[in-house]
Amino acid sequence: MTDTPCSIEAQLENSLREIDIPPRPVILDRISAEMEKDEPDFNHLAHLIAADVALSASLIKITNSPFFGFRGRVHTPREALMLLGLNVASKAIAGIAMRRAFPSSPQLERFWDASALIARLSGWLAQRVTDRRLRADDAYTFGLFRDCGIPILLSRRPCYFEVLIEANHDDSRCFTAIEDLALPTNHAIVGSLLAQSWWLTDETSVSIRLHHDLATLNATTIPPSLNSRYMIAVAQLSEYLLQQHTQRSFTQEWVKLGPSCLRLLKLNDEDVAELLTEATLILEAED
Amino acid sequence: MHPPEAEPITGFLKRSVCFDEITQRATLATPEHPLAIIWIALDRFKRVNESFGHQGGDAYIAQIAQRLRAKIGITAQWYRMAGDEFVCLLPDCDFDHTNQIAATLLREIETPFPINKLLLHPSASLGIAILAADENPHACLERADQAMNTAKRAGGGRIVNSGVEPIPGRLGIYLARHELEIENQLHLALEQGELSLHYQPCLDSNGRVVSFEALLRCANKRLTPSEFIPVAEKTGLIVRLGEWALLEGARFAQRLAATGLPIPVAINVSRAQFTTLRFAQTLHAALLCANVNPELIELELTESLFMDHSMTVQANLRAARDAGVALSIDDFGTGYSCLANLKDIKAGKLKLDRAFVIALPQDTRAVAVVKAIARLGRELGMRVVAEGVENQTQLDALHEAGVDITQGFFHARPMPETALLAWLDKHGKTT
Repeated sequence: MTDTPCSIEAQLENSLREIDIPPRPVILDRISAEMEKDEPDFNHLAHLIAADVALSASLIKITNSPFFGFRGRVHTPREALMLLGLNVASKAIAGIAMRRAFPSSPQLERFWDASALIARLSGWLAQRVTDRRLRADDAYTFGLFRDCGIPILLSRRPCYFEVLIEANHDDSRCFTAIEDLALPTNHAIVGSLLAQSWWLTDETSVSIRLHHDLATLNATTIPPSLNSRYMIAVAQLSEYLLQQHTQRSFTQEWVKLGPSCLRLLKLNDEDVAELLTEATLILEAED
Repeated sequence: MHPPEAEPITGFLKRSVCFDEITQRATLATPEHPLAIIWIALDRFKRVNESFGHQGGDAYIAQIAQRLRAKIGITAQWYRMAGDEFVCLLPDCDFDHTNQIAATLLREIETPFPINKLLLHPSASLGIAILAADENPHACLERADQAMNTAKRAGGGRIVNSGVEPIPGRLGIYLARHELEIENQLHLALEQGELSLHYQPCLDSNGRVVSFEALLRCANKRLTPSEFIPVAEKTGLIVRLGEWALLEGARFAQRLAATGLPIPVAINVSRAQFTTLRFAQTLHAALLCANVNPELIELELTESLFMDHSMTVQANLRAARDAGVALSIDDFGTGYSCLANLKDIKAGKLKLDRAFVIALPQDTRAVAVVKAIARLGRELGMRVVAEGVENQTQLDALHEAGVDITQGFFHARPMPETALLAWLDKHGKTT
């Protein structure tokens, strides 16, 4: 059977209808509690993480990944915690937990895979193009959480799949304005509420909220902070590089936001071509 | 000696010159070298005029103008837009720098000075707008004016940036030292996830639980709500706290409903939150995320918001009603309550300010007012709620006065969710 939007929509609805938005994982509370202590107990935390085999494996993989900005060779959760530090580790764990918090659905696999690649490319780009003004771990976390409102809306509004298609194909109107008209809310606001409820940083939740907003990228007029603008631009560039690499273009966002992203990051077309070559090598190595 | 186009008391240029010059200056602005506008209005100037006459008022204005020019006069151009309103144009000034300058100007204005043997404490409301690409400079000027008005409506003595929700942050907000300390602790509490909601039951005259009010609490015991909420309001952090509370309160209502207890949860919405353009989308997002029946959510808004006829607030009121949530008037009877306006307010509940309850039952005049409000509320189709009930005598007096619903320590303190569920078990799950 060919997947029509309607049948996909129905499947998504069935698989996701029941979910509440995922609560903040308990492990993050434990890390927060340790961070408050003068001498955090790394052994205790490592023990908690090690009890969750999949979480341990993912944390080790991320710590060893060049995308995250830490070129380490760690083998245990304790080593990962020591290398990353609790602050960064909690962001990494939030990212891992986020994907796991949603029920697995074949239709969403590609979405999550793309988010994961955008997050990793963002971590790499943060180091490569922002003179380290944007931290790799912040860029990575933002890349993962940026679109987390999408699966939530898919689960709640039967019409959202079609709205998403319309917004993806529109090369002039703001993505979220199209959602607002139909819902009336948008995945950026939903995502930022989830980020707030997980106690991610202000910068992350504000950036999620504004990540389709051209005025934010363009202006010296509006907060958020410069860091937030970098987060948005770097993730947008990552998405563009990924789409160029895979030759699958699902969105028109680069048409609308690309020039502003490049201006903010002080990049020209040649730079982008060079970055694409590097990104391709990295992505192929990853494959 | 001022130039002819200058206004004699302040030496600032006249309003009409501003409209011409801003157009010229706009042509020189680029995204890298933006043009910033600060619109300043002195707070409570009318009272100075009333107290010291126009001559005193002019001296006051001249003094402040002198301070402003002395602080920043070389690169900036100053204009007097109205009796107590000035505009400062800043070429090549980005957002952060403009906010720093605005904070400096506000500090300068707020330095007390003597007049007729009295020490005056001036204050001002500042609005900032930065010319966007392709924006009409006059429209930008209007944005600065609107931002100033927002600052004024929020109580003055503050800076508001145009086109921006009061996004949480430490940028350009003028705070006293102890408030800065509270703000820092609040940021820390947010990063560590130390905030929580406690819930206080509201009971009808038969002792049945009719709703819960969600109240913000912080695990850091040094941060009491009476301390951190005013600072959060001043810094704009209240928007983030309010959004968080909206989602968490809605999720709690959903959890209760899922266990067979469909009891509405009332959530406080601040002025800063309700005057943002995105409030409606945020409300819908929270309801969607929580997957909750909107009828189980009540938004508590102060009376002044219902009376606010700005387009944003009116649109948000409509959006809230369209979303199906209930509205209630919070802290009724303390602000500038106007009975004529009450007839136009479409709210399901009216919450009497606790100040009335404290006075019961000894203060017979307070009893009379409570009785009158209870009757008025009822006849306007609203249920009347009294907060702050601390003893049986007050409760009896309120019932006697015809108040439908009561809330306070006498029934139960605000409790975290687990304690509340235990309380409900003990109290009886009567709804």
